[in-house]
Amino acid sequence: MLYVQHHAWSILLRLYHWCFALSIVALVTTGLYINAPWTNTMIEGSSSFPMATMRYIHFIAGFVFTGAILARLYLLFFGNKQERFWDFLPVTPKNIKNVFETLKLYSYISDKGDHRIGHNVLAGTIYGLTFLAAAAQLTSGFYMLYPESLAWQGWGLMLFGTQQEARFIHHLLMWYFILFAVAHLYLVIWNDVKTKEGLVSSIFNGTKYEPKKL
Amino acid sequence: MSRQFHNKEAATDVSRRGFIKGCTIAAAAMGLSESMVPKLVEAATSPTRPPVVWLHFQECTGCTETLLRASHPDVGSLILDTISLDYHETVMAAAGHQAEKSLHDTIEKYEGKFLLVVEGGIPTKDGGIYCQIAGKTAMAILAEVAPKAAAIIAIGTCATFGGIQAAQPNPTGAVGVKDLVQGTPIVNISGCPPNPVNFLGTVLHYLTFKRLPALDKLGRPRFAYGRKIHDHCERRAHFDEGRFAEVFGDEGHKQGYCLYKVGCKGPETYANCPSARFNDVGVWPVSVGHGCVGCTEPNFWDSMTPFYERLPGVNIPGSGEGIVTGAGSAGKKILGVTAAAVGIHAAVGIGKKVLKGNKSEDQE
Ligand code: HEM
Ligand code: HEM
Ligand code: SF4
Repeated sequence: MLYVQHHAWSILLRLYHWCFALSIVALVTTGLYINAPWTNTMIEGSSSFPMATMRYIHFIAGFVFTGAILARLYLLFFGNKQERFWDFLPVTPKNIKNVFETLKLYSYISDKGDHRIGHNVLAGTIYGLTFLAAAAQLTSGFYMLYPESLAWQGWGLMLFGTQQEARFIHHLLMWYFILFAVAHLYLVIWNDVKTKEGLVSSIFNGTKYEPKKL
Repeated sequence: MSRQFHNKEAATDVSRRGFIKGCTIAAAAMGLSESMVPKLVEAATSPTRPPVVWLHFQECTGCTETLLRASHPDVGSLILDTISLDYHETVMAAAGHQAEKSLHDTIEKYEGKFLLVVEGGIPTKDGGIYCQIAGKTAMAILAEVAPKAAAIIAIGTCATFGGIQAAQPNPTGAVGVKDLVQGTPIVNISGCPPNPVNFLGTVLHYLTFKRLPALDKLGRPRFAYGRKIHDHCERRAHFDEGRFAEVFGDEGHKQGYCLYKVGCKGPETYANCPSARFNDVGVWPVSVGHGCVGCTEPNFWDSMTPFYERLPGVNIPGSGEGIVTGAGSAGKKILGVTAAAVGIHAAVGIGKKVLKGNKSEDQE
């Protein structure tokens, strides 16, 4: 079969993807530790700081996460065709139709799907939700990181309530990211196996393949 | 004092309430349960309790002063009135031969039973002539009294480790009690001055349990010197997160940030100051904005100076900046790199458009 090669993802998108994905792995790991510190020890001393170290990694990863999201925000408007929001969000009749086509494909009802160079719109919708969750996660995070800052207090109180309420939402959102990561990995691999468009490698080299319509 | 004067009024000056309060403070400092307080009270008032002899050598009397200057009298009077002090140069009424006789009587009559408290360093150079009382050198007095005591409490950093007169170049060859006395158990209550509560706790422990409290490797009671100042300091969160007073009186100092950069030696000093606190009004140096000078440690005049400069090489989490400050400066760089990446992306995009027009990059 002949394939058409498409340049789907810019370098910036790929960089953002990996910064985002790896920072989330670090944030979940350290976040779980902050929630339930398991390295309990009776040893005291000023050279071991398990909680401080975990929080330090969490905060640095939080900044990486924030940087990645800001880069993505820019790409939503100024990225290539596949990276802009109207290509993958259910905002046009064509895109809404794609959601249903993809659902049929995923539930083994249809075999064709509705091929896209960019994201399919079902995935795209979830990515859109993920960006919103990320915005909430970083706002609650910075609200907790700079508790004295009146600016973050303004946002935090408006969106979440007290520090404790923000912390609770921050914790719940962690589970969204965990569920997303698991489902995302499954579906990406499933698609890679099923549609043979070079999906997994595309997030490394930016290139996707489409069967040539003869 | 009471035993000396048989002054009932003086003894009842310490109201029973205040007396029990003093015992409770000491019990708390030792980590004993409330239910032990009656036992301490009983031991402190038992008619068979051992007398206490207090010797002063090279010192400033600051240790005695802290006992006397407690803002409410419970702790001080408990030590001075209830626990019988048969010889204390600063507070006893007797003088001259009378005083010397009292000392002699006590150490003969209570040989092997009395508690000896030593305040001050002991000069050893030139035969110990740099400190003499009643014509005898401090060395000679100590050599005479120490072997007869049941136990010795060295109070203050001078008696424990030599103190300020032992600082370089130590012109009088001053040393602490433990360098001269063998065979009699010694407890070191170091500090310049030490917290009276720690002294009282040690005495009550001895009276109640008939043995000395557990000691660390420098002979200090572990209930008081078992933990570093830094590991129990109320400013510790500011240390971990990187908020410091840079100079006295600056914004950080006003905000109550960590005093590490203005010389606090808390990270290297063992004492219970942050929890026991001083003067019965709940203060200690760090709580009032002055760093710890490390006064409970041996050689602190040499090793902890300059007092207002930071210790080198103490591990601050977060790449040496504190975790929030450190993450903040790393964060600025990360966001800077993000901005640069976005900028490059935009520039390349515009550049390509200018060079190639809007050609598709698809290939077969
Ligand atoms: C997917 C991203 C993230 C996940 C999964 C995550 C997870 C967590 C978790 C589980 C906790 C512990 C809360 C608890 O259960 O008690 C936590 C705390 C916290 N997170 Fe996040 N977090 C994320 C992103 C961020 C970001 C972007 C920031 C901003 C810098 C941030 C800052 C904080 C702060 C300041 C705390 C409180 C730490 C403390 O009070 O010691 N987090 N995070
Ligand atoms: C080894 C692990 C991973 C691989 C191989 C991988 C692969 C991919 C691929 C191939 C795409 C494009 C899929 C499409 O077109 O729909 C993608 C997109 C995406 N991935 Fe992953 N991913 C991984 C881990 C993660 C993790 C852990 C996260 C975050 C929790 C994540 C978040 C995303 C997001 C948000 C997108 C959408 C990109 C956009 O903003 O346009 N990925 N990933
Ligand atoms: S350095 Fe001093 S002020 Fe700072 S946390 Fe340690 S003991 Fe407290």
